[in-house]
Amino acid sequence: MAEDLRTERKGLILAVKDLPTLPKVLDEVARLVERSDSSTEEVAKLISMDQVLSAKVLKMVNSPIYGFPGRISSIQHALVLLGFNVLRGIIVSTSVFEIMSENMVGLWEHSLGVALASSTVARAAGLRDPEEYSVAGLLHDLGKVVATVQLPELKGEIEQAVKTKDLMYIEAEKEVLGFGHDRINAWLADHWKLPPNIKEGLSYHHKPHLAQLYPDMACAVHIGDFMARVFEYGFGGDDNATYLRPEALKRLKLKPADVERILDHLCEQFLEIADLSFS
Amino acid sequence: MQKLPLSLARPGMILAKPVSRADGIAVAAQGTELSQGLLDRFDSMGVDAVVVEGNPVNLEGAAGDISYEKRAERLDHLFRKHAGDAWMGQIKKLLYDYFKLKAAGMAAVKAAAAPPREG
Repeated sequence: MAEDLRTERKGLILAVKDLPTLPKVLDEVARLVERSDSSTEEVAKLISMDQVLSAKVLKMVNSPIYGFPGRISSIQHALVLLGFNVLRGIIVSTSVFEIMSENMVGLWEHSLGVALASSTVARAAGLRDPEEYSVAGLLHDLGKVVATVQLPELKGEIEQAVKTKDLMYIEAEKEVLGFGHDRINAWLADHWKLPPNIKEGLSYHHKPHLAQLYPDMACAVHIGDFMARVFEYGFGGDDNATYLRPEALKRLKLKPADVERILDHLCEQFLEIADLSFS
Repeated sequence: MQKLPLSLARPGMILAKPVSRADGIAVAAQGTELSQGLLDRFDSMGVDAVVVEGNPVNLEGAAGDISYEKRAERLDHLFRKHAGDAWMGQIKKLLYDYFKLKAAGMAAVKAAAAPPREG
């Protein structure tokens, strides 16, 4: 594909005026967080002013994905327990998925499944702050959503290629767009100023062995994606098990017994999140 | 184990998980056999779904419907691009054995349970 066409498409995807806008409150919150003299109380108060947004955030943090079902009753409590990065990720995901049409419900379910599976993997590997892995899982296919919104006419072409040539979605993206959603994820992460560990999870979940800065994050989301696909929880765009990188299991020191524990947990929990909608 | 909307739950099914009201107070324990009276009470309490043993209702394609037998069967299709890859073959076998074992466990539970009553 000609280089200029590729550049043009990157431009189209990142055309800021059409990108899903994040709630204004997020900018103000980000400014507040950067100041050293701000308190969680002030930050919580600011988020709570947007009632619709805080209701969505609370619904999400109280889902089994984050492991505190039904126990977080306020934004402030959520901030203390989960930290600002996680809250920020949840706000980004609800804002982006809100614009999705009905026919992308499968991708939302897949994202929820990967969120649950990624944090389950992180817990099994004994990693700190498993909630951050949930958020990276939740956002790992953001690029697919945004590409669909910005280049709707090419989405049909990608789906057609998946079907007729039996490609994986990312292979079809590379054929049609010239790049995959992992690249789009990296651009979006910069654009929306996501934290670097989350960015690494988003942009390296297909090639965790190449992640340099936060390989644990990339590996956990990689394995999470694989698990959600094996259970066929939701629909990520194609029905394939991804190639499970042995390096990822090795890096997180997961043995077959750990994998079985992860599977056990997922069997239980996939049921629980089945009625979590994004609206 | 299957999560069902309350409208599809029937007397005779066994709860695989406790049922709680929206405020978190548990109203029925795991292992309880559902009766019409219990279902009516759940309804009036605003409970909208229950998790029951086995896979009594065919919710084909619904998210969260996990039938182990079906998961094992689907592996051939899901792993079709990795045929001949020794490593992925190992992973597939681990998953296959896992789902088969789970399916056998479920079948044993089902066989041990009393046959569902009529009505």
